[in-house]
Amino acid sequence: MAAKKSSTKNSKPESTERSGDAVSLWRAYRQEIRFLTVFILILGGGFMAISLNPVNDHVIEPFTAGIARVSGWTLDLIGQDVTMQGTAIHNQRFGVNIRNGCNGVETMIIFAAAVLAFPAGWRQRLLGLILGSIAIQLVNLVRVVALFLTGVYFRDLFDASHTTIWQTVVILCGVLLWIFWANRFAVPPAADPQPQTAGGE
Amino acid sequence: MKRPPSANAPAPDWARRFAVGVLLWLLPAAIVWMVVTPFYNRFLTTSAENLVRLTESPGVTRLTVHDRHHLVIQRSDYAIPDKPWLGSIRTSDTHFPTIMLAAFFLAVPGVSWRRRLENLGWALLIAAFFHIVSLFFRVNFVYATQLGAFSRENYGSLAINLWGISSHLLELPFKFAMPFLLWAAFYIRLVLPGGRR
Repeated sequence: MAAKKSSTKNSKPESTERSGDAVSLWRAYRQEIRFLTVFILILGGGFMAISLNPVNDHVIEPFTAGIARVSGWTLDLIGQDVTMQGTAIHNQRFGVNIRNGCNGVETMIIFAAAVLAFPAGWRQRLLGLILGSIAIQLVNLVRVVALFLTGVYFRDLFDASHTTIWQTVVILCGVLLWIFWANRFAVPPAADPQPQTAGGE
Repeated sequence: MKRPPSANAPAPDWARRFAVGVLLWLLPAAIVWMVVTPFYNRFLTTSAENLVRLTESPGVTRLTVHDRHHLVIQRSDYAIPDKPWLGSIRTSDTHFPTIMLAAFFLAVPGVSWRRRLENLGWALLIAAFFHIVSLFFRVNFVYATQLGAFSRENYGSLAINLWGISSHLLELPFKFAMPFLLWAAFYIRLVLPGGRR
């Protein structure tokens, strides 16, 4: 019996076996493939969108200038006596210009892509997007203020802090926020209809 | 790629344990990254040079390690007067998210150490490939956009835009998303609905 089954299997055309493999691979990793595909598409699309000149000029630049203003007010509150000009903040000892990559928008897009790609209800997604974006911007505010203070008091550490440490911290916050959100709001899948089997109970 | 065992259900505070684990693994991962960086930069520089030369005939690109963190670009058929090289790239910037990647992979609760290390190995291999490709695009971005007359003579507007946008995408979103993307490829099932049952 077993030999007969085996010979039947071996006699299948190679293309049928391959498509069978693809189907079983899709079935086994359906959720992973779907999540990763949607995530990559939203991520790529989001970054393409913000790199367009009209979007950059009318959305990102004003947003970044807003971040610079809030950061400047915060630095004033802690006695740094700064002057703001567009996206630039400076005082007598140091100055920074907040550019793309320093405004938290990249982390927000990565976070949004992960939230939208994840199987959850739309209300949960919206809540995640709003609360996550606020949290990411708060962390980014801490980053801008901390970087300015690093530039004022520990100039030698500024480059490493700017390019490595704080980039890592902000991205890490985005990912951990997503983990907590996904863990809280994961929607259980609808039960798959079971095929009727002959001779069942 | 091996899936995490979904039957081996972790505790309900899985996310908190994962977050604490990630924070604890960051420092050891950063120390290893700092130690390995000079050697890895040398490997990346050589590999990227070989990849760039594969697309040239004759091979004219020369990439050289400049200091601990940078490589410099030279061409045997073109030079800028009074400048020893055509451009420089901070190689370490390409791969510092590896610190996060290692922390993510080592911190997953409810998965055996053998499985974690095996998956981390695969992820590092994929990341290394990504770093080499990323440097390839950045070198071509310098050629297409930073060399004035040379760029205008050898690259059309379509090519300039393509190298520009692809270099931008690899340098920002995909570089920063890479640790999470790779982690998700191996472990998303643990977060997905019903994954830990």
